[in-house]
Amino acid sequence: MKSITGINITKSYGKDELVTEVLRGINIEVHDGEFLAIMGKSGAGKSTLLYQLSALDKPTSGEIYIEGKNIADFSETELVNFRLFTLGYIFQDYALIPDLSAEENVLLPLLMRGLDWQTAKTKAQTALTSVGLINRDTNLPSQLSGGEQQRVAIARAVAGKPKIIFADEPTANLDSISGHDIIELLHDLHNKGQTIVMVTHESEYVEYCNRIIYLEDGLIVPEKCRLINPLPNYANTYLTTGSTL
Amino acid sequence: MRDLRIGLFLGLRQIQQASLWTTLLIITVILFTFLNLVALSGILIGIVDGALDQVRSEALGDINILPLENETRIKETERLIDELKTYPEIASFSPRYTGLATIEANYKERHSLSDEPNIIAVNITGIDPIAEKETTELENIVGEGSYFDSTENGYILIGKYNIDRYAKQFGDVFNSLDNVYPGDTVRVTVGQESREFIIKGIIDSKADLVSVGVYIPEREFRRMFNRADYNANQIAIRLKPGYDEKVIRDKIRDSSLASLGKINSFTEDIPKFIIDVRKTFDILGFFTGAIGLIVASITIFIVIFINALSRRRQIGILKAIGITRRTIEFAYITQAIFYAIIGSGIGILITYYILLPYFQQNPIDFPFSKASLSISLNGMFLRSIALVTVTVIAGFVPAWMITKQNTLDSILGRK
Ligand SMILES: Nc1ncnc2c1ncn2[C@@H]1O[C@H](COP(=O)(O)OP(=O)(O)OP(=O)(O)O)[C@@H](O)[C@H]1O
Ligand SMILES: [Mg+2]
Repeated sequence: MKSITGINITKSYGKDELVTEVLRGINIEVHDGEFLAIMGKSGAGKSTLLYQLSALDKPTSGEIYIEGKNIADFSETELVNFRLFTLGYIFQDYALIPDLSAEENVLLPLLMRGLDWQTAKTKAQTALTSVGLINRDTNLPSQLSGGEQQRVAIARAVAGKPKIIFADEPTANLDSISGHDIIELLHDLHNKGQTIVMVTHESEYVEYCNRIIYLEDGLIVPEKCRLINPLPNYANTYLTTGSTL
Repeated sequence: MRDLRIGLFLGLRQIQQASLWTTLLIITVILFTFLNLVALSGILIGIVDGALDQVRSEALGDINILPLENETRIKETERLIDELKTYPEIASFSPRYTGLATIEANYKERHSLSDEPNIIAVNITGIDPIAEKETTELENIVGEGSYFDSTENGYILIGKYNIDRYAKQFGDVFNSLDNVYPGDTVRVTVGQESREFIIKGIIDSKADLVSVGVYIPEREFRRMFNRADYNANQIAIRLKPGYDEKVIRDKIRDSSLASLGKINSFTEDIPKFIIDVRKTFDILGFFTGAIGLIVASITIFIVIFINALSRRRQIGILKAIGITRRTIEFAYITQAIFYAIIGSGIGILITYYILLPYFQQNPIDFPFSKASLSISLNGMFLRSIALVTVTVIAGFVPAWMITKQNTLDSILGRK
């Protein structure tokens, strides 16, 4: 089963002579339950690719299917709902809402999903427990360390049990110990079957992933892509490039 | 519904975490707008209402009976008076008799006939001193001297505009008596007959109508004018508190008394121009209020806009994790409503517990009126509703402008 299929994705900014082609035709597949790392030098287009795959942006050309649905067909409202129910996001700088406590940050999308307050609260507590922050639930983001904030962000992303989690350099702002904690958390989630797409610079974390995709100048470089821990259902013919087309 | 609930929750949290200074600033702006809305038009209207109230309490009473068209006096005044006594709503009434007379002062000191006489022509009013003081404030507006003592004869009350030292402002428009004081003797002449009166007091009213008058007890009036019947020229009626003059007027009009005289509530006898002035002030108050509202809405718009702009990234994140635009807009509307309600709430309290009592005790002294703040509870609520509405719009628009931006652009701070 494929979680995400991207066909010939391009993304360019500007127009006429000033146009910058950031993604220049990417073919990619993400499998159900896969932990995929996107790597590459700064400016290679990693974040840009992640935004396209996670329905935060619209590609200039190409098609993207998430959970079998062409996201270009969605109206704005459908897209918001799709992100709410199906996708989870973890950003480099945590992106918590500063006015809300740790627990309320986790609670918010659950309420938005229509859960009643009590159920949402229970789920938020469970999620905070799973990231080891249950005794910090009333703290505001400003009263938490970077690592703790990122763990709240993870709790927020996973509390609603989304199909896919997207993470853009979730450890970049953290020291190596906190960074490891975060990767361990993602690894645990992955072991429970969570599909994760993560952009990262740090090669020490890639051992937790199933597969690495390497980007250079808006293109996948097949020679630099690697299979680390192949999923049991990877066919032998599965392209190590990640590009099946 | 879900959007509303979560928006409310988000909005309240933002208020909680907002900087105290921003909160104070917005609330102060709304408070002053409210006061501007209330106080200015309230004082303008208060000037007119003060004048009207003076005319009511010092001259016309709540209901005023006048002769019918083409009549000079009210018919069958005695029967009418007997009937009025049967109305439980009427507290008191005062029949008045008027006629033309001249008043001359200082005639004893006038040595040569070529000296200009100190004389004026007036409309003189005969009153029952007791009935009058029960019906109007005449007793309380005697400046120099004092009111009639009901046991005495031969006294006169003169309105201040008949006295030179009070009437200077009018220049030569009409004559006035020079150098007369309470205790002086004046000669009142009606036709061929003259009588001497001692000035008992000088009436000092802000209602011109009262201050140009000259008053003597009705017994002496009737004698001088040779009036055999008791038919009055005017009857002022004061109602007991709590009765509406229009309702009682209609009740009297529906009775047989309507054939004897013209029964008017006091507003009907107020010159039309005063009513027009009141309308004009109403409009003026409305416009200054409207300008105040616009200024306030712009201020609130800017504050909320900057607030929302500084949270643009946050708004982007909210949208990214699946929070609807409507929810985010509600959060900002919640804030705006909160500020508006607190601001105008404080405004209502200040108006009700500080401004209104203060102006009641210290009315502003205008030449023609003692003005206090004239504002009804109704008017205040209307104004606060206007203010809340404007604030909501001023809160919604910036939120709408920022939530409609591209989610990713907001998060990355692009554009
Ligand atoms: N809005 C934009 N307009 C023009 N160029 C853009 C825009 N956004 C990104 N780019 C360009 O696209 C390229 C890829 O950017 P991207 O953020 O995807 O890189 P990245 O691989 O995530 O780098 P990093 O590791 O530094 O985060 C960069 O050269 C960048 O300058
Ligand atoms: Mg990046």
